[in-house]
Amino acid sequence: MSAALRSPTLAVQRGILGAVLLIACWEALARGLHLPSYVLPAVSEILSGVWTQRTALGAAAGYTLLEALSGYALGCAIGIVLAVAITIVPLLRSAILPAATAINSVPVVGYSPLILLWFGIGIASKTVMVAIAVSFTVFLSTLAGLDRVDRRAIDLLRSFGASRFAILWRLRLPTALPLMLAGMRVSTVRSVIVAIVTEMLGAYGGLGWVIYQAVLKIDFVQVWSAIFVASAASLAFFGLIGFLERKILFWT
Amino acid sequence: MTSGAAASLAGGRTAAARLPAPLRKAARLLIALAATAVVWEGAVQLFGIRPVYLPRLSAILMSIASTPQAYIDGLLRTSAETLTGFVAGGAFGVITGIAFFRLRALKDMVFPIFVVSQTIPVIAFGALVVLWFGNTLLAKAVIAFYLTFFPVTVNTLLGLEMVDPKQAALMRSFGASNSQLLWRLQLPTALPQIFVALRLASSLSLVGAIVGEWFGDTTGIGVLLLQAMFTENMVAIWGALLAAALLGTSFYAVVAAAERRLVFWSAEQ
Repeated sequence: MSAALRSPTLAVQRGILGAVLLIACWEALARGLHLPSYVLPAVSEILSGVWTQRTALGAAAGYTLLEALSGYALGCAIGIVLAVAITIVPLLRSAILPAATAINSVPVVGYSPLILLWFGIGIASKTVMVAIAVSFTVFLSTLAGLDRVDRRAIDLLRSFGASRFAILWRLRLPTALPLMLAGMRVSTVRSVIVAIVTEMLGAYGGLGWVIYQAVLKIDFVQVWSAIFVASAASLAFFGLIGFLERKILFWT
Repeated sequence: MTSGAAASLAGGRTAAARLPAPLRKAARLLIALAATAVVWEGAVQLFGIRPVYLPRLSAILMSIASTPQAYIDGLLRTSAETLTGFVAGGAFGVITGIAFFRLRALKDMVFPIFVVSQTIPVIAFGALVVLWFGNTLLAKAVIAFYLTFFPVTVNTLLGLEMVDPKQAALMRSFGASNSQLLWRLQLPTALPQIFVALRLASSLSLVGAIVGEWFGDTTGIGVLLLQAMFTENMVAIWGALLAAALLGTSFYAVVAAAERRLVFWSAEQ
């Protein structure tokens, strides 16, 4: 019991130690070797860069998060609806699955030039890109979850006269929930990154745009500041969905 | 999670692979491709879809055929970048997975840093890497590597942790050394999980190579995509997308074939 209680705190302590060591080495390397900031700025420089530009970076992060969140919601909805549709109407499976696989055979970022030309360089194109990136992962994990249902449980429910809808609602969806939510959790970080990558090719604002402008100006303290904010935003989003997952899956 | 999703995709693949004759499989694939081509061409003609949304397949193929050298060079260059990054990332992932499995303290210290490293947007990382390594093949391979290694590390660790402690104890009681334990028991047990990650990594490394090429290069599929976007040439964008799909699918198929060969004992993933 006590060992089980102690080991996670030990892991946390070691994790903090690792982070501190990394930051110390980084700072010592950058300061000790007088590395120019375009090679590697010191951590303290990056943090002060974040602080001095906090309003601009905050606004950019808000812009990116708006794109990522709306695309994420859209992508999750598409993925779940398609997976459920396939389960209800098995005939659709042989049409949707190959199409989805074909679309997914092109790496997601490959679509960004096309989507930018179709939807312009505003928020809409980023939302669509994030939705494409998220929907496939959520679709596959939801489908894997829905297919995992025990045949005998379905037969049992059916023998009690349950309708197809009742089986879906009471058995299939609850069974699929853990895998579905795991897919949604994995997609969070992806959604922010895809939004940022698409912003680089053309945007009116956002972290990707800030990063790209800073690269052009060779202002690498600003690049690192934007990276810092982007990582923090991704981790916060990941943490939020992970927290919701634990709340929803109270039985696991 | 991801491995489950990838496994379900593999389920469909292995179901097709169960057909005895590989010839029949190839024929079916060709028929499916031909059907897609006919539907594509027919739908564009029939519904009068504007080329802005979907150009005719024949127009795309003709544009590729008129400048084949750019596409061939692009495919070769991008596949070299992808492959280098994939091999390096796969090897690094397996090695770190084993190291984390052996040394808990190292895992506790470094693994969180790995997790945070994956939240760094690839383009920001790309900008830095291109600055560090210059605009070379190596820079793109490093970006592909950075996207590749993490899933391999995670799944190697996961696979190694699935080893039955009783089997390990049995081998130890017969005097097996650490390396014998690793090669005869732990790695074979972990191999199916490692391949799930490698299949995922095959497409991620292609993403890395393509994004890396956006930082100014002269050859590659990413370059073709970007040039087509700047000139708003829809036919060329679709041509580059087809090339990317060809590269991604064949790379995935090679990894899946290697998996079937090496993990022969688990027919169903």
